[in-house]
Amino acid sequence: MSESTTAVAPLHAEQAVLAAAVQRGEPEWLLERRAEAARAFAALPLPTPALRPWRYTDVTRLDLAAFVPADTPIAIEGGADGDAPDGDAYVGTLSGALEGRRALVAERLGALVPATEGKFIAANAALWSGGALVHAPAGHAFDEPIIVTVDAGELADAAVHPRLLIEAGEQSELTVVLRTRSGDAPLLAAGVVEIDVAQAARVRLLIDDRWGAATRDFTTIRARLGRDADLRVASLAIGGAILKQTVEVVLEGEGANSSIRAVALGDGDQHFDFVTLQDHVGPRSISDVEVKAALAGASRSIYYGITRVGEDAAGAEANQQNRNLLLSNSSKADSDPVLEILTADVIRCGHAATVGPVDQDALFYLQSRGLDRRTALQLLVSGFFQSVARDLAVEGMADDLERTVFAKLARAVL
Amino acid sequence: MSETVSESVSEPILEVRDLHVSIADEPDVQIVKGVDLTVHAGEVHALMGPNGSGKSTLANAIAGSPAYVIDSGEVRYRGEDVTTLTPDERGRLGMFLSFQYPTPIPGVTMVNLLRMAIKSRRGEEPSAREFLTELRETLQTLRMDEDFARRYVNDGFSGGEKKRAEILQLGMLKPELAILDETDSGLDVDALRTVAEGVNALHHPGMGILLITHYQRILNYIMPDRVHVLFDGRIVRSGGPQLAHEIESGGYDPILQELGIAVAAAAS
Ligand SMILES: Nc1ncnc2c1ncn2[C@@H]1O[C@H](COP(=O)(O)OP(=O)(O)O)[C@@H](O)[C@H]1O
Ligand SMILES: [Mg+2]
Repeated sequence: MSESTTAVAPLHAEQAVLAAAVQRGEPEWLLERRAEAARAFAALPLPTPALRPWRYTDVTRLDLAAFVPADTPIAIEGGADGDAPDGDAYVGTLSGALEGRRALVAERLGALVPATEGKFIAANAALWSGGALVHAPAGHAFDEPIIVTVDAGELADAAVHPRLLIEAGEQSELTVVLRTRSGDAPLLAAGVVEIDVAQAARVRLLIDDRWGAATRDFTTIRARLGRDADLRVASLAIGGAILKQTVEVVLEGEGANSSIRAVALGDGDQHFDFVTLQDHVGPRSISDVEVKAALAGASRSIYYGITRVGEDAAGAEANQQNRNLLLSNSSKADSDPVLEILTADVIRCGHAATVGPVDQDALFYLQSRGLDRRTALQLLVSGFFQSVARDLAVEGMADDLERTVFAKLARAVL
Repeated sequence: MSETVSESVSEPILEVRDLHVSIADEPDVQIVKGVDLTVHAGEVHALMGPNGSGKSTLANAIAGSPAYVIDSGEVRYRGEDVTTLTPDERGRLGMFLSFQYPTPIPGVTMVNLLRMAIKSRRGEEPSAREFLTELRETLQTLRMDEDFARRYVNDGFSGGEKKRAEILQLGMLKPELAILDETDSGLDVDALRTVAEGVNALHHPGMGILLITHYQRILNYIMPDRVHVLFDGRIVRSGGPQLAHEIESGGYDPILQELGIAVAAAAS
């Protein structure tokens, strides 16, 4: 245990965390939580490969002290303005909501993802700054997507802590796009996204990762769904050195429906690690997970996902798929979808995992039409991603994914 | 079987010389065992033969499929030796294979494939307008619905739709060599007529067609100049259109029996 416990860097220490929070002018209740998070951070070891979700992503030698905590650069556009006259709707920074939305933030922040849960989560709880809050009160529909951009392009050897709190009241509707960008310098990102989807609310979250080549991202996204609530998460993993994304959905209400889709396009030494949880609590809840990776160079993809159907989740339907396309000889994928079914009354519960090269017949077919091998692969990969791209209803995003596939594979080692 | 004067003056499109082909995964298994064949511009050659005789293997080898290895012999296209070219190089030169079993390509629309294929062939993207006009005309010729082109290539297509989709690509890519591998199978009579009429409309004096079939049926619509019978990897008989009728009325057995005797007699 002591081996994997890192010495706490000065800026992660409770005193420094508190000093920074005081400087940001944070209220007393938050200072207490910051201190608690800093203590949790100090006490918690880095996760080791002995823990199943961390089996293939070994961070025990990650020197957290090498990354200086920085203010997390965050920009928010779209939706309604903070404190717009339209009821209680709010779109803006979390820090800007500490006074005006005190009750909401104090109650909900950290409710789904407690600070004490893990090293990176504790770091985030101690050190997040800026942040974003999207609050749709009951019946409110944001017509436009809300774009949250974390652009750490100016930072080097720094740690950033993106924090999003999404509160969708009953029958509300909203779409959030989280864009992440950075430069080529080493960067550590530890993000937390909490989403509460109340009865019959509809939430979409699109994550567009374009981190720079030396960024390591460890992000946890967790959602709770009420009765007949609907959540769709679509994640594009394009950039970064390491991207570890944990997406967990608790389908609490009867008839709740969630879909988690992700695509990863790897090259070089890129390392993508997706963990998903579809936790069926409510009866007749429906969930769908589809994670797809296309891997060039020596890139690597890991998938570990659990579909859990609880005792009371009678009539649940769950589907879980992980597909990996190896575009080169040195790319690699590990896949482990797991089912935990505790009720006999399940309508459909499927899981599938594939790892393999592209369909040689399809490649020959396209080549016979005059497309050179690389172009044929570009087309096959963008076709492979289509099932996820279809979900990217935000204007321009699907086309952008196709352009990105072509551009990245134009240089990739295939 | 001498060729007529008119045939010999037109350009040879496809020349297959003493071709021997094995399966890439099983190099000891030779499927095509010495095939010679010349198709000139403007001609239609029918390649017939029972199931398993090696017709598709020959077609795929001509197109450069990596599933097969050419042990010896050569393939020439318009005078150029293409035996060692990649499939895409052959495609760009103007060779086209209509597959017996077209592969589904989920997520890639026919429009997308056609655009990229035309771009590869001509070296530049067709103008959107020109492309659409051509697409509409070709779809009309083949009596295909417009939204057909927006579907994913061969994905969930019926047998007949797959065959039409192949001919749609033929029409858009305008090759000088078209190898049609059992384009007639899986089509009902009306669809067969439509597809055959489409092929006839697309055929031009500069194009050679190798039509692979094991039924005479399609030859009622597309008139062959020559008919060849492939058996066990060899062309065992060639002749005029009447050979197809012979096969239609009597099947392959009489021909093969006759040859069996002839081969045995020659060997003794
Ligand atoms: N890729 C392959 N792998 C294994 N066997 C093959 C392959 N391709 C062809 N064959 C075999 O070669 C023979 C000829 O097949 P094919 O060329 O498809 O015949 P045809 O098209 O005349 O029906 C058959 O016995 C078939 O099983
Ligand atoms: Mg065949």
